[in-house]
Amino acid sequence: MLARVAAFEFRYQLRSPWLWIASAFVFAIALFSMGTDLIDAGETFRNSSWEIVSKYLAFSAMFMFISTAFVANVVIRDDETGFGPILRSTRIGKADYLIGRFAGAFAVAAMCLLLIPLGMVLGSMMPWIDPATIGPHRITDHLYGYFLLALPNVLIVSAILFTIAALTRSAMGTYVGVVGFVIAYLMLNEALITKPQLVGWPSLVEPFGRRAILDATRYWTLVERNTLLPPLEFYLLWNRLIWVGLALLILGVGAWRYRFAEKGLSESARKRREIPQSQRADAFVLPGGPLSLPSPSHGFASGWATFWARVRFEMKQVVVSPAFPILMMWGMSTTLLVLLTQRDMDGRPSYPTTASMIPELEQALFVIPAIVVIIYAGELVWNERARRMNEIIDSTALPNWAYAVPKTAAVTLVLGAIFAFSMLASIATQLGLGFTRIEIGQYLLLYWLPATVDMLILAVLAVFVQALSPHKIVGWGIMLLFLGAQIIKVAPESTLLNYGAVPPVPLSDFIGADNFWVGAWTMRLYWGALAVFLLVAAHLLWRRGMDIKLGHRLRLARRRARGPAGAIAAAALLTFGATGAWAWYNIDRLNHYRSQQTVEADLARFEKKYGKYRDLPQPAVTDARLDIAIYPEERRAVTSGRYTLRNVTDAPIAEVHLRRGPMGLEIEQLEVAGARLVSEDRDFGYRIYRFDRPMKPGEERLMTFRTERARRGFSNFSPEQKLVENGTYLDSSDIAPSFGFAGAQVIEGAKRKEYGLPDLPRLARLEDESASNKPGFGGGWAKTDITLSTAADQVPIATGRKVSDVVSGGRRTARFISVAPVVNFVTVHSGRYSEKHRIHRGRDLAVYHHPGHAWNVDRMLDALQASIETYEAAFGPYPYTEARIVEFGWAYYARAFPGTIPYSEDLGFVPDLTDPATIDNVSGVVAHEIGHQYWGHQLHGAEMQGEELLSEPLATYSAMMVLRRLRGPDEIRRSRILFLHRYLDGRAGDEEEVPLARVEGQSWIHSSKGPLALNLLAQRLGEERVNRALRNMLERFRFKGAPYARSLDLIAAFRAEARSAEEQALITDLFERITLFDLEAGEAKAVRRADGKWEVSVPVTARKLYAEGRGLERETALNESIEVGLFTGLPGWGPFDSKGEVMMRRVPIRSGRQVLKFIVNRKPLFAGIDPYNLYIDRDTEDNFAAVVSR
Amino acid sequence: MLELKNLTHVYPNGTRALDEVTLSIPRGMYGLLGPNGAGKSTLMRTVATLQTPTEGSIRFGDIDVIAEPERLRRTLGYLPQDFGVYPRVSAMEMLDHLAVLKGVSSAADRKVTVETLLHQVNLWDVRKKALAGFSGGMRQRFGIAQALIGNPELIIVDEPTAGLDPEERNRFLNLLAEIGENVVVILSTHIVDDVSDLCPLMAVIADGRIRIEGAPLDLIRATKGRIWMKTVDRGELDRIRERHQLISTRLFAGRTIVHILADSDPGDGFASVEGGLEDVYFTTLAQARRAA
Repeated sequence: MLARVAAFEFRYQLRSPWLWIASAFVFAIALFSMGTDLIDAGETFRNSSWEIVSKYLAFSAMFMFISTAFVANVVIRDDETGFGPILRSTRIGKADYLIGRFAGAFAVAAMCLLLIPLGMVLGSMMPWIDPATIGPHRITDHLYGYFLLALPNVLIVSAILFTIAALTRSAMGTYVGVVGFVIAYLMLNEALITKPQLVGWPSLVEPFGRRAILDATRYWTLVERNTLLPPLEFYLLWNRLIWVGLALLILGVGAWRYRFAEKGLSESARKRREIPQSQRADAFVLPGGPLSLPSPSHGFASGWATFWARVRFEMKQVVVSPAFPILMMWGMSTTLLVLLTQRDMDGRPSYPTTASMIPELEQALFVIPAIVVIIYAGELVWNERARRMNEIIDSTALPNWAYAVPKTAAVTLVLGAIFAFSMLASIATQLGLGFTRIEIGQYLLLYWLPATVDMLILAVLAVFVQALSPHKIVGWGIMLLFLGAQIIKVAPESTLLNYGAVPPVPLSDFIGADNFWVGAWTMRLYWGALAVFLLVAAHLLWRRGMDIKLGHRLRLARRRARGPAGAIAAAALLTFGATGAWAWYNIDRLNHYRSQQTVEADLARFEKKYGKYRDLPQPAVTDARLDIAIYPEERRAVTSGRYTLRNVTDAPIAEVHLRRGPMGLEIEQLEVAGARLVSEDRDFGYRIYRFDRPMKPGEERLMTFRTERARRGFSNFSPEQKLVENGTYLDSSDIAPSFGFAGAQVIEGAKRKEYGLPDLPRLARLEDESASNKPGFGGGWAKTDITLSTAADQVPIATGRKVSDVVSGGRRTARFISVAPVVNFVTVHSGRYSEKHRIHRGRDLAVYHHPGHAWNVDRMLDALQASIETYEAAFGPYPYTEARIVEFGWAYYARAFPGTIPYSEDLGFVPDLTDPATIDNVSGVVAHEIGHQYWGHQLHGAEMQGEELLSEPLATYSAMMVLRRLRGPDEIRRSRILFLHRYLDGRAGDEEEVPLARVEGQSWIHSSKGPLALNLLAQRLGEERVNRALRNMLERFRFKGAPYARSLDLIAAFRAEARSAEEQALITDLFERITLFDLEAGEAKAVRRADGKWEVSVPVTARKLYAEGRGLERETALNESIEVGLFTGLPGWGPFDSKGEVMMRRVPIRSGRQVLKFIVNRKPLFAGIDPYNLYIDRDTEDNFAAVVSR
Repeated sequence: MLELKNLTHVYPNGTRALDEVTLSIPRGMYGLLGPNGAGKSTLMRTVATLQTPTEGSIRFGDIDVIAEPERLRRTLGYLPQDFGVYPRVSAMEMLDHLAVLKGVSSAADRKVTVETLLHQVNLWDVRKKALAGFSGGMRQRFGIAQALIGNPELIIVDEPTAGLDPEERNRFLNLLAEIGENVVVILSTHIVDDVSDLCPLMAVIADGRIRIEGAPLDLIRATKGRIWMKTVDRGELDRIRERHQLISTRLFAGRTIVHILADSDPGDGFASVEGGLEDVYFTTLAQARRAA
């Protein structure tokens, strides 16, 4: 019986149009997933094992919505069609009925899933796929993905939803179930699963096995991703078993609790609906006399009353509909989730400023409001018809506009209420976090109003589309296509062409929104005007009465258009045209709008034309005099410059090439003494000057220029954010021409091929000694002399010692002179800063910041002082008379200029370090940037492999010394874990790995692995010796010209300090090889001895591996002394106290398994090898084991 | 009061729903009788401004309904043949809302309107219940209440008694009769008794054409002596249909009563019978069919 029911169900579902739509959808997604980088493919094959497995995971999660329809339909169908009673009165048993049908429907779903492998294999053969990116197809990948991941996942979701459907017997109940499941899953995902520091059990809790797979493959390299399947080990295996078991159990419960009998209404629902018998059998009361009722009136007052009554009524229709609370719940839970969890990325909480909350609200409420608008615009437009109230309402005296207008208004007001609610949620979050600077005005003007108006504009479009569509579903479909195009960004890029689009308004707590809102509101006026026109059109074409053919409505519209409607439409069109022209003038004329594609194509053309000059020797600037006038009100900066150029090469230089640099810079005057302009390319801003007599080596020439940089009007994309009314931040490339092609922006990565560009030239090899003549950054050593003027109420700041500062004629002018050799790369600031100074050893330590951002200022000053003290003791004198930090808005970085550090608000000024357990990244960054005052500003690396080894790792290594002093060793240990994680994550990417000595810009190697290597070196050689090597490097290269320092020089300096073959080998392992360790502690035993001490035996297993660039590994003999510790607590991601340390000792460790024995005074609970993560080890969890005591 | 002239409506699929309908309807109840699909609802909707006729004119007093539907709507009460309700909206709310739509804009006026009407149709006690829970009769009473908002001068009720039980129907008609004293009320129905009980004037419509028009009593009188009846077994029906002009058949106690039309005694055991409006109606329909 069961089999026959299942077979019937199977055949029934096969006939369902839904199946075919779903199948087409699944197939299409699988097919196109091979072409689009759904999961960034990069250098792994598009069909690598890892990609295939990832895709099965992604598709099976998406399939949730499809399987809902399949399996939920199975039970609900009978109740909805009314066929249920007939069927249930037959001899069929409950189990046969339910399980049979489930089996049938599930078989269909399983079949539908088979389209995934088919689609993927066919997809990889499509003409748009580069065959080079496709590796061999392996059937095992698909068997693994299908049977281990996709099928169980679909079973899990289907079983849950089937049970919900069987128990609620309502489609709505099931949809609520799906939404609830999604919300629960997302919350779980946010709370546990995306956090890599939680290990093990989250992979059992997560139902789809995604976390288990991610954990198993976390640090996989290219080779592994291409060829290996995640091993079916403990967590993955148990995850599958637990969840499939749970699914079957849930299914069983569903079958057990299901009742054949009609469920009927609940007691309370029946009471609510029931009309008492006494009231039912009544009679029409015959009127006592002639009926006398108030008469209607039809004027303005009545129109107004009608409008509001309609709005209220329609709003209620939205708010009381059953789907609304679900959508709201979804929206609100994601909002709160974002607000609460996003605040603590990487364990770095920030003060919840309004400027930081608003983008998060916008992100959280990105799609849901649009969906609400689209759904309810459809519902409301078709409301009268769907409820069959249209004949009554259409025949009333209701003016015709009182359909489209109130419906639009109702949808908009509902959305306005949602946004207001989310705003309150955000304020509540702020207050809950103890942040009391609540800026209601900012919320209203920068969040609530723009969001609501945008939804109004969308609502009008939705109403218009529905008014024209022959059916609600058609209208919905059109609008969802529109929304989808926006989400996947296939809509036109130009805000002038993309309905409802406005330029972004960047927000900063420091700077506010500057005047960026002007562009956004101009575009809102533009689209708003079109919206008014569309609304009038919707009104004119409204379906009233029974003649709803479009042709008839068009005829009617002509009649309706006479009068105010036509006038409004005409006015709207005029406004649309006028604002459009104005916006076009701003976007296209003033700001030279180009689509992303054109920008790329231009970059490619630029490179094809001038890329040949990449290595052309250019003179260096040895003396730079700049006179910069900033006009903050006008967002304008005028610069006059005089450069002394010097030929520092050993051959004559015949030409000077000057490049305009970033958009927005106008070069008004430019002269090179003794040279003629022989080529000027206005499109690309590239000029070539040829000397009448080439510059001889060592010869100097003068160059003078005048430039203007200004923000004019508004632009289409992200606006120029450097020039603002308060908080301008410019560097040399923003205000002065750059030399040669080198350093120009180029297209990177796989895209180069599309534009027919050759691979980017690699850096000079380490062995190429001639390359050490060129510094990697800047053009050699120079003097700078900057005169900076700005508005009288702003503070001018630039690199160099301030030698004068006067206010006259409404302008404040200051002059800054370099006191030590510097690179010719200056930073320039102007703003209404608060200043805090501290004089330390005769130097001015200062922080210039937004008055509201005083939280971390003292901490920064402390860090400046501690850094300078530490580095002067370890490496030598700090060369400048000042160390200043200047706050700027928007970005998330800090940058070291000589003596001056621009530090972004988000990275340094709003992080909340009140909790002492928080890692103090603020001081860390200060110490790092002061470190660069040595590593980068005193010593330059040569432009070749290994250049960054001489800056980033050394700056971080230096900063770790400062942090240890300020925050203690435990925080260093914890930051090591972060570095390790970032390095291993980086390895798992698609770049080929190189040893540190040969690093070519990979930040995961120089900034993450580099500090770890130096850290271990300092542990083994001692800080004293390492710092002596560094000091020697500085003495050798400080402020020196060519040859510049190479990574080999640093390694040689370390080797000079090494005293044993073991230490030499360590240096080789750290800098010249890719070395990995696999250290593991087994179950340890502790036995109490008669004298009260504990004898502990710890089995450890160890391996050492050398890896190749692509990840291929080979084991090598391990023979090193490594720390082993016994603990009463577990060190990990959190803070850990050395009080938890029972014993810590370096022990000789060799490859393989060995048992270590210790005698200690206290009873340990845990044992660990390399417990403080000094070594590169992909699995640090197994470094620990619990101690079993007897 | 309401003048329809040469009203013709042809649907896009070619169906001629109204064919040269010309009627003159004074104040009072006017019955429009016709079988399903005769064009009654098309006519009602056309008069209610929901449909524009292909040809012809409609005037109500001084209003040219086709040119100025807005003016007619201000004085129109319409109860469609079939209407639904919004979910989760009570009778009082809905009536209040409809009062706004009909231009009763002051809250005080609306309160009077709504309360009076709810009492009038005796829905006062259930005013706060959702309309969705109403029985057919209650819903129909709600329908007539909304049609009465704002003292309309033209009330159109399309098949109002369909689906009502006899008692409800009776009460409903009483209410209509009460209203119909001062304004134009058009009652469209396929139930002969609705018209015979209520309407001083009537018309029969079939296949989009007005077949007869007049006062029911006059029409009945015109059939005097032409209607003949006989009680037969079922097996005889075919023979009678062949030989006589059959008007109607009706089952009674297991046998069939047939009415035929004949200007003189047809013999064959038929007895003369006093004709009712039903006979007029069926006769008209039978003639219409033959003409077709």
